[in-house]
Amino acid sequence: MIGLSDFLIVGAGLFCVGLYIILTKHNAIQVLIGIEMMLNAAILNLVAFGKYDRFYNGGQMFALFAIVLAAATTAVALAIILNVYKKYKTIDPDQIHELKD
Amino acid sequence: MENFLQAIDSLTIRFALAAVLLPLLAFVVNVCLPGKNNKVAGWISTLAILTSAVFSVFVFSKVWNQHQVHQQQLWFTIGETKVYAGILLNNLSVLMLLLVSLIALPVHIYSTAYMKKDESSKRYFAYLSFFCFSMLALVVIDNLILFYIFWELVGFSSYLLIGFWFTRSKAVLANKKAFIMNRIGDIGLLVAIAILFSVYHTFDIDQLFGANALVRSTTFELPGGWQFVAFGGIALAVAAKSAQFPLHTWLPDAMEGPTSVSALIHAATMVAAGVFLLGRVYPVFTEVELTILVIIGAFTAFMAATIALTQNDLKRILAYSTISQLGFMVMAMGIGAYSSSLFHLATHAFFKCLLFLVAGIVIHEMQHVKEEYDLDIDPQNVLYMGGLGKKMPLTFITALIGGIALIGLPLTSGYLSKDGILIQAFEWSEGKPVLYRLIPIGAMLTSWLTAFYVTRLIVKVFFGEFKLAQINPGIKLHISDGGWQYKLPLVFLAACCLFPLFSLNPFLYEHAWLLNGFPKITGLDRVNIYHTIVPAGLNILSLFVIYWAYAVYVMQKALPFPEGGWLFRVSYHEWYIDKIYSKIIIGPVLALSKSARWSDVNIIDGFLHLLQRIGIAFSKVADWTDRYIIDGFLHLIASIVLGIGNFARSFQGGKVQYYLFSMLAIILAIFLFKILI
Repeated sequence: MIGLSDFLIVGAGLFCVGLYIILTKHNAIQVLIGIEMMLNAAILNLVAFGKYDRFYNGGQMFALFAIVLAAATTAVALAIILNVYKKYKTIDPDQIHELKD
Repeated sequence: MENFLQAIDSLTIRFALAAVLLPLLAFVVNVCLPGKNNKVAGWISTLAILTSAVFSVFVFSKVWNQHQVHQQQLWFTIGETKVYAGILLNNLSVLMLLLVSLIALPVHIYSTAYMKKDESSKRYFAYLSFFCFSMLALVVIDNLILFYIFWELVGFSSYLLIGFWFTRSKAVLANKKAFIMNRIGDIGLLVAIAILFSVYHTFDIDQLFGANALVRSTTFELPGGWQFVAFGGIALAVAAKSAQFPLHTWLPDAMEGPTSVSALIHAATMVAAGVFLLGRVYPVFTEVELTILVIIGAFTAFMAATIALTQNDLKRILAYSTISQLGFMVMAMGIGAYSSSLFHLATHAFFKCLLFLVAGIVIHEMQHVKEEYDLDIDPQNVLYMGGLGKKMPLTFITALIGGIALIGLPLTSGYLSKDGILIQAFEWSEGKPVLYRLIPIGAMLTSWLTAFYVTRLIVKVFFGEFKLAQINPGIKLHISDGGWQYKLPLVFLAACCLFPLFSLNPFLYEHAWLLNGFPKITGLDRVNIYHTIVPAGLNILSLFVIYWAYAVYVMQKALPFPEGGWLFRVSYHEWYIDKIYSKIIIGPVLALSKSARWSDVNIIDGFLHLLQRIGIAFSKVADWTDRYIIDGFLHLIASIVLGIGNFARSFQGGKVQYYLFSMLAIILAIFLFKILI
């Protein structure tokens, strides 16, 4: 029987993998994938906790919104990466340190 | 009347002062003249000395056998002692003043020709004028300190002139030797002056040794020992300046200077300064001390005469003859023949100056021959000369006159002065133990030796055949007496060597006017037979000696003593005195200096090096502490700060992932913190 905690464990694992990818990868697109994984971990939690709201299915609804928003943000992020690549000729976030003062 | 006399006196003083200062002026002008070989220099010096001579004649005529003129001014005051300086003109000083300027004049004229070709003749005349100034000042000054200063200056200018050709190493060695030997004498003089001052509290020569001589007074007496030390100092000074044994060896070497300098300084004037000093301080001597002077003088005279017999260098022969004659003067001072000593000084100055000038001309001409035929000879060596009398008649005749005066034959000035000394020497030894007889006999022997070496010299140079031409038949002599600058001084000096200048009676020295200027002595009265026997015997034997020498050297009959015999060798090597000095004094002094140097290098320097090493070690330790402990501490702080800074900086590295990582770390830390607390 698959219980709530299994979902949470998978979500937490997914989150950790996503976090690890964000912190370690040298490619902005991979970092973006990591972000998506963390987002999906959150959505998984929303869906898992959605079983407590069978009437309105608020969790599932919220998950749908989140997926749409994630798609939108991904599009924006990809555009940013494209522009970054145009400017720096690289998408390694280590090489792009103009954010420092 | 009083005022009139004072006016005359002050005029005399002024003239004397001018006579002294003119050569100094010439020296200053010559130094300022442009160029090295400036023809004007010679004539400036000559003009100055000519004027000096004229003034000296005037001063002489005013002071000689009249009252002495003494003017002085306060020089400085030490405590209560006032030191005066001024000019003292008495018979002795005006005689010297006249003599020096009269001798210097022909030498200056001669030098204008003699040094014409020398490239630094300007320096020569500057030095010569400076010497004349020092010498003239020396004879008129009345203060012992100034006397000492001029005494030094005279020695110094002699040093400069001996080393005039300072590129020749022999000249440099000779002037060093002369200077050092004179220093020994100068120390003696200084000591004597100090002793006299400490007892009498005055430097005034007139007060000390004048008419009411302090040194003769009974109120202040020099303690016996100090009296003797003072005498020793003066004797040392005299021995050094007048080239007496044991300090005579500088004079023959001093002949390295120009011959005109030898004539003026090392024959006629400067070397007479020692005898002049004896004359100045005469009252200070006691009987014993005078006897010591006699022994020094007589021994020197004899020794130098024997050395002069075998020397081959023309100037060296004359130098030894000078030493010998100076020995006569010192001896005469010792036996109490004060006036005869000064008389001999005056006559000797003329004939020795003349002989040196002759030697200068001969050497000059030999140098010409040497250069013309490119020969490798010493132009001063008499063995190469001979027969020059025919070529240079005037030089020959004047040399003959000078030589005869030096031997002391009648009709010359030398006869008057030297025989006077000999007669008085005999009188002095009368009534004394037999040993004292050695002195007059030695002096007579010396006279005959003089006759021999003078004849040898003149014969070798002027008689016979020209030796170089015999060896080398290609040589043709074309030499001559030279211009008027050579002839005039010779004629003048030769005239001064004859009797009329000094005494109208050519046979009796007692009639010489010069002797009347000094304290009367017993020897002037013809009381005993010596006055007849000594001159007669002396001169007859002298004639034999002269003939013998002539026979030996011209007719080649026999040699007086075989060359190679020990007597010859002793004479030829100048009694080995230089060798003895170099063994006994120079050797140990050098050894001492070497050991001093050794201790300097090894002990004193070693100690300093040790200190240095310790210092270096200390500084190295300090350096290490500085570098590693103090700096290290600072570096540690700096690196900690740097580490913290770098650590903090890394959070702001501009890398997105680091930001994220730090956010994660902080959140984790907060959670851990919450869990733990």
